[in-house]
Amino acid sequence: MTAIDTEQDELMGLLVAVAREDRQAFQRLYEKISGRMFGLCLKLANQRDLAEEAVQDAFVQIWHHAGEYHNDRGAPLSWMLTIARYRTLDLMRARKSKQTAGDSHLEQLEDGREGPLDVSLRTAGAAQLTGCLEELSEAQRDSILLSYYRGFTHDELSEALSSPIGTVKSWIRRGLMALKRCLER
Amino acid sequence: MKKTPERIEALAAEYVLGSLRGAARQRFERWMMESVRVRQEVWFWEEKLGYLGQQIQEEAPPASVWSGIEQRLWPRRQAALSATAANDGAGRWLWPGWSLVATAAALVLAVILLQQPVPMDDERLSGAIVQAELTDPLWLVSESAFERRLKLRPVAATAAEKGKDYELWIVPEDGQPVSLGVMPVGDTYQVTLDAETRELLSSSRTLAISLEPVGGSPTGAPTGPILHVAKLYEL
Repeated sequence: MTAIDTEQDELMGLLVAVAREDRQAFQRLYEKISGRMFGLCLKLANQRDLAEEAVQDAFVQIWHHAGEYHNDRGAPLSWMLTIARYRTLDLMRARKSKQTAGDSHLEQLEDGREGPLDVSLRTAGAAQLTGCLEELSEAQRDSILLSYYRGFTHDELSEALSSPIGTVKSWIRRGLMALKRCLER
Repeated sequence: MKKTPERIEALAAEYVLGSLRGAARQRFERWMMESVRVRQEVWFWEEKLGYLGQQIQEEAPPASVWSGIEQRLWPRRQAALSATAANDGAGRWLWPGWSLVATAAALVLAVILLQQPVPMDDERLSGAIVQAELTDPLWLVSESAFERRLKLRPVAATAAEKGKDYELWIVPEDGQPVSLGVMPVGDTYQVTLDAETRELLSSSRTLAISLEPVGGSPTGAPTGPILHVAKLYEL
């Protein structure tokens, strides 16, 4: 059994305990994954206060919904990070609708493109995903990763990649379908 | 729009990626509620793209994040403190029957800020009347500014003992509490506020519930023990 499997088993055990309203298990869960969750939210939002709020909201949701987790939803860590990611995107959208459009995201671009693929691989699943991402065209891969890590809208992608919005949309759509075919192989 | 397998496949991927927005996102969320097939497609992507999330550099959130989570899930500790502080407040708390709060302390009075993801536009004041050893609040309180109504929705509240009724009061900053009537347990209790009571509640934001003879206090002031005191919050 690898270290990764052991960790997922431990997270699974903690989630089960949280579903029974075990507060100590909840705190332990927080200690184990809040760093990864905050890192993800921060990268996505690029705003500390928003990322902090998203992590708080996500853990409140995890407390209430731990019992709804099941194996079809992927590994426990993925499930919890997904909750935080959706919450971050929601908060970003809520703020953006209040902001007047600026081009501040252009500064974020460089950082966004530095390439999560360079980060060392941690799981077999990640290795498979990375392998499949490598098979995409560069434009497809960039638009998918910028959407995932940065929460870019089609408009923002269009600007960042200097391409018409229709082109960007099709990169994402075709890229995702190619990714799926590869992941299913 | 029809749920063809191709559409489900394409939209689920974009939903998880986050590039599906606005009305299209909301429509897709309805699809998810309606169909397990749609949910499974979403889970596929959540799992696969989830690996991207695990490749990010960790960063420890500040300690305030954890304390914020605790506060939201188990607000009792802070509420108990604020109740104590309020009692230390001054003579304005000294109204008839108030000393009985001490005997009711075991029942405890605490307040939580309602976790309403999308507060109704016209709801201004909100809160809950809770009891220490219960996880659910006794009543949830909301004020609709537009209708000028105060609503108390019973959650874990149980009927008053035989021969008694609960009576709801506004505790003003100064002076005598003002009755908002006898509250039956079971249905949502609604009371329309006139300009004067509304003003009182807006400034003190404090409600109390006392145990009275059936039909309510015979004197117009609380006569029985004060069971609960709750401070409301502005949304």
